[in-house]
Amino acid sequence: MILIFGGAYQGKLDYALETFDIAPDDVFRCTRDGTLNPEKTVICGLEDFVYSCTVRGTEARDALASMVPQLRDKILIADDISQGLVPMDATDRAYREMMGRTLIWLAREADSVYRVFCGLGQQLK
Amino acid sequence: MNLFISGGCKNGKSLHAQELARDMAREKCVPLYYLATMIPVDEEDRARIRRHLSEREGWGFDTVEQGRNICGCLTPSARTVSGAPVNPGGVFLLDSVTALLSNEMFPLDGPPDLHAAERLAEELAEFACRTGNTVFVSDYLYADGCRFDETTEAYRRGLALLDRTLARLCEQVIEVSFGMKYYYK
Repeated sequence: MILIFGGAYQGKLDYALETFDIAPDDVFRCTRDGTLNPEKTVICGLEDFVYSCTVRGTEARDALASMVPQLRDKILIADDISQGLVPMDATDRAYREMMGRTLIWLAREADSVYRVFCGLGQQLK
Repeated sequence: MNLFISGGCKNGKSLHAQELARDMAREKCVPLYYLATMIPVDEEDRARIRRHLSEREGWGFDTVEQGRNICGCLTPSARTVSGAPVNPGGVFLLDSVTALLSNEMFPLDGPPDLHAAERLAEELAEFACRTGNTVFVSDYLYADGCRFDETTEAYRRGLALLDRTLARLCEQVIEVSFGMKYYYK
């Protein structure tokens, strides 16, 4: 499993497609409706999956842990939302904390981890 | 060589950018320009400008005021604040891309220009290409945990486009974190 994270609008998906030579249609984009289809090679927008878990009161890490066998050969992409102001909204605060727990777990599980900054990647693991 | 520097607020980006620009101008024996991008609107802005001016004292910068239309300072009639013509072969410090986009996107006398970033991306690419020795400074403001209003998101998306454009075409890309540097290339 490969984890790619970075701030919003940093070009993470383009970086993944280019670096790992993935076809643009081999991408599943998470939305806040909470579905996660592990059939595509790239699963991006993981922050929206985590947000939906926050709203439903489930733990995103546990949901992902139950899918580990299907996620082994996947590339997961998530926004890093950990460095801004503490959100005013209680759900946003809980979401930000769940994102942190999820990314710590994913980074530990992943074989390699990249951070994307202004379209350029840095391998952290 | 064109350089791109970004990082969080008050992390030491500007100081490092000043050092790099000064050293590059000394090495090449060419003029050193500071592109002043802030268009002051109140006393807080004017105080910030005075502080920046005093911080740059003795560094050898000639200031060029260019808050909009960045390539305008490369025309033959362009002058620095000291009255000297602007030599496109000099070293330029553009601090900051963030202020430039703000000026282009939010004109004081009209509605927001939501296509400003696409236009500015082309202008900055042209500026980098024509000067060849510019240090671009931007701000990393992409790690918030909440969604902003549509106009603010358009600004963040726009700035990210400029950052990615410059990071791609600059020969060196540096992230400054509390004075420490990471070289992406």
